Amino acid sequence: MADEEEDVPFEEDAEDAGGGLDGGQGRRKRLFSKELRCMMYGFGDDQNPYTESVDILEDLVIEFITEMTHKAMSIGRQGRVQVEDIVFLIRKDPRKFARVKDLLTMNEELKRARKAFDEANYGS
Amino acid sequence: MADPARDALGAAAAVPEPPPAAASPPEAAAAEAAGDGEVREAGGGSELKAEVADGEVRSAEGEAADAEEPGLQAGAARKVKLELKERKEKKQKVDEDEIQKMQILVSSFSEEQLNRYEMYRRSAFPKAAIKRLIQSITGTSVSQNVVIAMSGISKVFVGEVVEEALDVCEKWGELPPLQPKHMREAVRRLKARGQIPNSKYKKIIFH
Repeated sequence: MADEEEDVPFEEDAEDAGGGLDGGQGRRKRLFSKELRCMMYGFGDDQNPYTESVDILEDLVIEFITEMTHKAMSIGRQGRVQVEDIVFLIRKDPRKFARVKDLLTMNEELKRARKAFDEANYGS
Repeated sequence: MADPARDALGAAAAVPEPPPAAASPPEAAAAEAAGDGEVREAGGGSELKAEVADGEVRSAEGEAADAEEPGLQAGAARKVKLELKERKEKKQKVDEDEIQKMQILVSSFSEEQLNRYEMYRRSAFPKAAIKRLIQSITGTSVSQNVVIAMSGISKVFVGEVVEEALDVCEKWGELPPLQPKHMREAVRRLKARGQIPNSKYKKIIFH
């Protein structure tokens, strides 16, 4: 666990120094390369984005998630990450707020639909 | 467009990207039928959904009205009930219009645009990796909703950065694919606008 914590600030320095300069130590394996490529194409980039750009984006996303997680841990119930904390942190950003509300609502709907479907099957 | 996968995507165009898995049209319709009146913009526009939603709204409001004092309150409660019902119906109508417009738009896409739209809707972060990442930071386990929310806002975040980078690229008179210098300039601009969280430096408010 402690290893992962040290990794994150180290990764950000590596991002500015350019890829591969630092060698093996602390170089986390790329988590989202494939998905990020599809996402970048979907948002308007070329069909084959540059690998360096994808790397920069991955570091940005990991930093974003890390920041959000740390902030969520410090508010509400300490030491835990709950949905209400995330919604609170996002409240000023209209796009993200609407997106989270939509996703959670749709998730509830789908869960309800699946449950009703299963009960119907079970009954018959 | 004779491609069935594309038609399904067009039909689902109104429904925002489904979180757990790609929703096939029958599942989406079932989801709409089971949705309660609280759904604001989840789209769907089938009459079945409207009926069920209205029925649930009416019963919920009926219980709320009975809980209040009878007599004077009953009249006011009934009026509130009617207003709420009208507002929900108007919102559903607006949703239906928007869904129709989206369907018309998607049906007029070129091949390349359809590809891009499909990637835009379908791309998502793997839930397992996000869950692992969050759990490695908190040290405790997190609920599924947290993973769903985090994946969703991360995707919006990627969109913001990529769009800003495309603006920068266009402004500098260059073409995609995006280069690291565009990304870095985009990040610098977003940071200046406060759209990138950064809790490393202490903010001095008054000095």
